[in-house]
Formats: sequence, structure tokens, C-alpha cells
Amino acid sequence: MIPLEHYLVVSAMLFSLGLLGVLTRKNAVNVLMSIELIFNSANINLVAFSRFVSADFSGQIFAVFVIVIAASEAAVALAIVLSLYRIMRSVNLDEASVLRG
Amino acid sequence: MPSLGTLASLKYFLPELTLVLTLLVVVAIDIALRGREDRRLGVILISLAGLVMAGVFTLMLKEAPQGGLFSRMLVLDQFGLLLRFLFIVTAILILLLSVPSRELAGVNQGEFFALLLGVTVSMMWMANSVNLLMIYLSLEMVSVGSYIMVGYLKTERLSNEASLKYILFGAVSTGTMLYGLSLLFGLTGTLDLYGIRSALMNETTLAQAGPALLFSVILVLAGIGFKTAAVPFHFWCPDVYTGAPTPVTAFLSVGPKVAGFAVLVRFFFGGMGHPVGDGTWQIVGSVNWQALLIGVSVATMTLGNVAALLQTNLKRLLAYSSIAHAGYILMGAVVLSDEGLQAMLAYMVIYLFMNLGAFLVVMVVYDRLGSFDVKDYGGIWKRSPTLTIAMGIFLLSLMGIPPFAGFLAKFYVFAAVIRAGLAWFAVIGVLNSAVAVFYYMKVLKAMVIEEGATSDTSPFVLHPVYAVLLLVLLVPNVVGLVLWGYLDQITEYSMKILETL
Amino acid sequence: MEELTFQVIFYVFAALVVGSAALVVLGPNLVHSAFALLATFFGVAVFYVLLGADFLAGAQVLIYVGGILILLLFGVMLTHRIYGVALRTETIQFWPGMAVSVAVLATLIGIIYTTPWRQMGFAAVEGPTTASIGELFMNEYILPFEAASVLLLMALMGAAMIVRRRSDL
Repeated sequence: MIPLEHYLVVSAMLFSLGLLGVLTRKNAVNVLMSIELIFNSANINLVAFSRFVSADFSGQIFAVFVIVIAASEAAVALAIVLSLYRIMRSVNLDEASVLRG
Repeated sequence: MPSLGTLASLKYFLPELTLVLTLLVVVAIDIALRGREDRRLGVILISLAGLVMAGVFTLMLKEAPQGGLFSRMLVLDQFGLLLRFLFIVTAILILLLSVPSRELAGVNQGEFFALLLGVTVSMMWMANSVNLLMIYLSLEMVSVGSYIMVGYLKTERLSNEASLKYILFGAVSTGTMLYGLSLLFGLTGTLDLYGIRSALMNETTLAQAGPALLFSVILVLAGIGFKTAAVPFHFWCPDVYTGAPTPVTAFLSVGPKVAGFAVLVRFFFGGMGHPVGDGTWQIVGSVNWQALLIGVSVATMTLGNVAALLQTNLKRLLAYSSIAHAGYILMGAVVLSDEGLQAMLAYMVIYLFMNLGAFLVVMVVYDRLGSFDVKDYGGIWKRSPTLTIAMGIFLLSLMGIPPFAGFLAKFYVFAAVIRAGLAWFAVIGVLNSAVAVFYYMKVLKAMVIEEGATSDTSPFVLHPVYAVLLLVLLVPNVVGLVLWGYLDQITEYSMKILETL
Repeated sequence: MEELTFQVIFYVFAALVVGSAALVVLGPNLVHSAFALLATFFGVAVFYVLLGADFLAGAQVLIYVGGILILLLFGVMLTHRIYGVALRTETIQFWPGMAVSVAVLATLIGIIYTTPWRQMGFAAVEGPTTASIGELFMNEYILPFEAASVLLLMALMGAAMIVRRRSDL
């Protein structure tokens, strides 16, 4: 069968790619997509561990809740993006910088 | 006492049930009273009533037996009880703070209070969760509620930008934390914090799993560091605090931050540590967690204090100041002892009243002058001596100067650190406090000595709610030192975390 | 034979997932990225099936593809001037980000292969998981289940409040 490590490596790649997207992309919706990649990578981890390491379904239950949380965050994030777009006509993160670190 | 099942746990769950019920009623009443004059008043009164009832129920739980609730999702112990009460008090104060606020005058407050109630319930869950799932869920609930509250002024560009920055940074941090939690689950096979601790202590294979444990805990600390605005996860803090409506900023600086510390305590002391009997705790794993926490604490307080020196916007200044205070609170966590926990609790209680007081004054000045810039704070002494004296007391308390309560907070933390043998660490804390004096004094100096920017010299008239709040927040700061014994009693009672389930 | 089938399916979909994720993160066209994300989500659902989590696979497709992806596509479409200007996105500070990402990946792979994961043995999971998950939701995990409903209420209210145009509601 497919060993545990294979799943973990795929999820590690997803996590790194998501991190790359968050660090390098300028468009807010694009950053949001990368965040979804990170959530999915953690979910794969949870389900894989639930299958191989734990004796029960707790990892899968956790994964269901992660999907729920990701959905609500995506909804709120896109609402904010839309609201900002109405004011600024752009969702380029470089231009969203009236506030400076 | 073993863990209770669902039905049996309900009677210990009354505060949270009350708050959720109040939330639903507020939403319903908000819709029902649409278009009517008494809409705002109705919503305010209902929220207040719900919060007060929840507070009463929390106090009634004092004699409840400690143990697990809802099949080991939550825990009922004295530490959690104090924090629950603290969050309810925070919510009541923030509610009163936002009633006369000029920033929130034009927007619908029904949903705002519903969100406030939802976030308060979630913070209460954060402080009491002992299951990775419940910790993560409640943390995300607090976060999502906060993201919306920060962006509440949807027509203001600043509010929207702050909200966007907050949610993007927050989602990345919590996503990373989730990855760390999944690795922790993989190492131990269970989501239960106490189960994780047993697995980490007993299995010899886990001794070889050092790097995995270190990596996963660091990732989890990313999420906790984000919530408490600790370095290096503090980048969102100044921008979000500046852009959000000031009542929300005040709330963020005391509510979610303290909840984040509660999660830190539960995670390290409940999930990874065990008491060694003489009041100290030992954390499992071969990594030097204490050194890690010391590093974070030093970096946090130093960065907060140094960056605050350069700020002229009061909200930004208070943002960096709250980052610094998070560093001081972390000092209590570092010592890994019951004393340290007690110090953390004492600091968090006193910090609530100091910080909210400062934000209250900032709000009053904004409502009158329309500015957050320290240049416009000139001449306030002539226009409202009461306000200046109050601000002076809050600032002196934040500086940690006796005889105000802030000194007591710092004393607790430094004493715990010194008694744990880390005197050099306490010295760094004292030096940082000395640096902090400069920027707090800058504000006070502007208010007392400098001339006003405008020629308007009419006296400030305080809204009655503001006046009441001012009094309520001043009293603990002034008498805090006198009531030292009382605070000591409360925190000593509350520092007992449930050791095992 | 069955062994080989599973392996082929795994590798094909692993390549799909990683490839499309790379397109999401590195691709210049935003709409292409959104559709690549669709492929990623489907691939992850296939992994869930391979791991025996059939309910989760269904939930993934329904919620992620059917909900979140649609939202993201709306987000892409509503925040661009569609006519004329190409939907191109730029990147900032690419190489430092790439360095961090590669470092994290290397560390993770090292950790994955050197940690002795305790494995219970690959017990064949019989039948659908829906009933067991349902029972768990109603018994052990009922508190998070109900808490999630409060979360959804807050998110719904908040998102609607932020986006609506009428200010008298």
C-alpha cells in the first residue's frame, strides 16, 4: 500500500507552495488561494495520520471542521476584498498601503 | 473527577449558554426594531443584561468540582474561571466604551454587539479548551469575529485596509498553526492535550522525534504568537490597531491577547508539562523551551518599547505599547512555575484596567478634537483637568510607577523571574520599563505643558457614559496597590490549572 | 494488480495536485490560477478517498469546489476591470520567498523521513465512514459541532454586513 510518508511529502509540498504564494503574490485573491493551499495541506496530514497513526476518526473530524472554518474565512475575506475594491478600485497589496508597517 | 458527558456538563455551561442565547436575541431584536428610535437602546440593554447574567453564572461556578466537560473538550478549573470572568468584564467595558463612540455612531450597532458577544464566548472557550480541535476552533472563532469588527467601518479606507491586512496575516498564521497541530496529532495519535502529554512522556520513540516535536511546536507558537502579537508575529498589530475603530482596537488589545496567553498556558502547562511538586513545572521534550520563551519575551518587549518611541499617532503608540506589555506577560510564562502563572494572571487583570483607561482617554479626545496625533493633545490640561489627571494615572500605571496598580503588575512578574534565578532577565525588564517612560511621558507632557494646536479653549464635556467608565477604570488603578492582598488571594486561587484528567 | 492500480492513481493525482498548486502560486494569469485551484481541490478529494475517508471526500468536493472556489472566482471576476486589461498579476520579492519556501520544504521532508511515525498497521477500513462520523458528531464532538454553528452565524452576518450597499439595514 501507499506508505504514510508519501502523503506527508505531498502535503509538505502543498504547504511550501502555499507559503511561497503568501510571501510573493501581490493580488489579495491570489494570497487567499495560497492560504487555501495551506489549509488543504494540513487537512491531508490530519486524514493521513487518522488513517495510519490513530485508532479512531478524530483526524477526519478535525478535517471536517477545518473545511468549515476555511469556508467561513474565505467568505469574510472576500467580503473585505470586495469592500476594499469598491473604495480603491484595486486589490493590489502594494497599493493598499495607507498604513505602513 | 472524570470527564462529564454532554447532558451532565450543561449545568456547568450556563455562562456560555447565556451569551449564545443573548447573541441570538440581539440579532432578532435588531431586525425586529428596524427603523425604530429605540433600536440602539434595546440592543445595548439586552447585550448588557446577557453579559451581566453570564457574569453572575460564572461566579456561581466557583464551588463547582473541577474536571472535564463535554467529553474532554473543555475543562472546568479555577484558572479558566477567572479568565471567563475577566472576559465578561472586558466585554461589558468595551460595550460601554462603544456606546458614545463617534466612530461607531453612524453604523448599525446590533451586529457589532452580536459579534462582540460571539467573540467573548469564543474567548471563554479558548481559555478552557483542552482538545486541539476545540483550541483551534475557538481561536478561529475569535479571529473571524475580530476580522469583521476591525473592518466594521466599511466606508473608511483605513478600516478596510486594516481588516484586509489582519485577515490575510491571521489566516496564514492560523493555517501554519494548523499544520503544526496536525504534526502533533501525527506524533501522538490523539487530539486530547492530556493524552498528548502522556504520549510525549511515556514513549521512548518520541525521544527520537525531537526535530518533529520542535518544528510542530514552533508552528503552533506561530498561531499563538499572532494572537498575542509577540515577535516575530506582531507585524499586523500597529496597522490593524491604527485602522480599526478605536473601541475595537481597545478590545483587541485586551481580549484576544489575553485569550492567546491562556492558550499558551494550557498548551505548555497542560499539554506538554507536568508539575514536579515544588511548584515548578517541567516541560517534556529535549528542547530548551524556556530559552525559546525567554528569547521571544525579550524580543517582544524590546521591539515594542523601542518602536513606540518613534510614534506620534496615539493608536500606533498604544499598539506598540501593548506589544511591549505582551513581552512582560510572557516573562511570567517563562519561569515555568506556579508563581509565574500567578504573576501572569495578576498582570493580565491589571493590564485590562490600565490599557482600557488609556484607550478611553484617546477616544474622548478623538470625539472632541477629531485627531489621534500627539501634536493635537496640547493644552488639554486647561480644557479638562479631570481628563489629564486620569490620563496621567493611566500612563503612570502603564509605566509601572508606584503607587499605581501597574507597579504591582510589574512587581509580580519581576519577582517571579528573580525567584526563579533569572535575575538578568528581570534587569532587561526593568530597563525596558525605563525606556517606556519616555514615550508615555511624551503624551503626558503634550497634554500638560504644550500649547494647543487650535485656539479653541472651551472645556471638554464628557458624555455621562464616558464619565462613569473613567471612574470605573480609574478605581482599580488607584487602589490596586492597597488591595494587593485581595488580588493575591484571587490569583493564588486561580493559578491552579487542572493537572490531569 | 490492485496494488499497482492504487500506486498509479496516487502518483498521477499527486502530480496533478502539486502541479496545479504550482500553477496557482506561480501562474501569471489569475483566472488560470483559480481553475488550477479547482484541480488541486479535486486531487485532494481523491487522496481522501484513497485514505478511506469517503464522507470527507464528498464534503471537500461540495464545500471547497462547490462553495469556496465559486467565491474565489467571484472575487477574481468582480475585482478586475475585465474588459481590455489582461488579468495579469505581478510578484514581489520572488527569490527571498522562494528561498524560504524551499528551506521549509527541505526541513519538512527531512523531518518526515527521520521521524519514527507510530503506525497501527494498515487495517482495511470497511465500508462508509459517514455513520461513524455522524455518531461522533453527536456524542464526543457535539460541543465543537454547535460552536461551529455560532461561527457560521458570525461569519454570515459579518460578510453580509460588510458587502451590502444599503446602510439602513
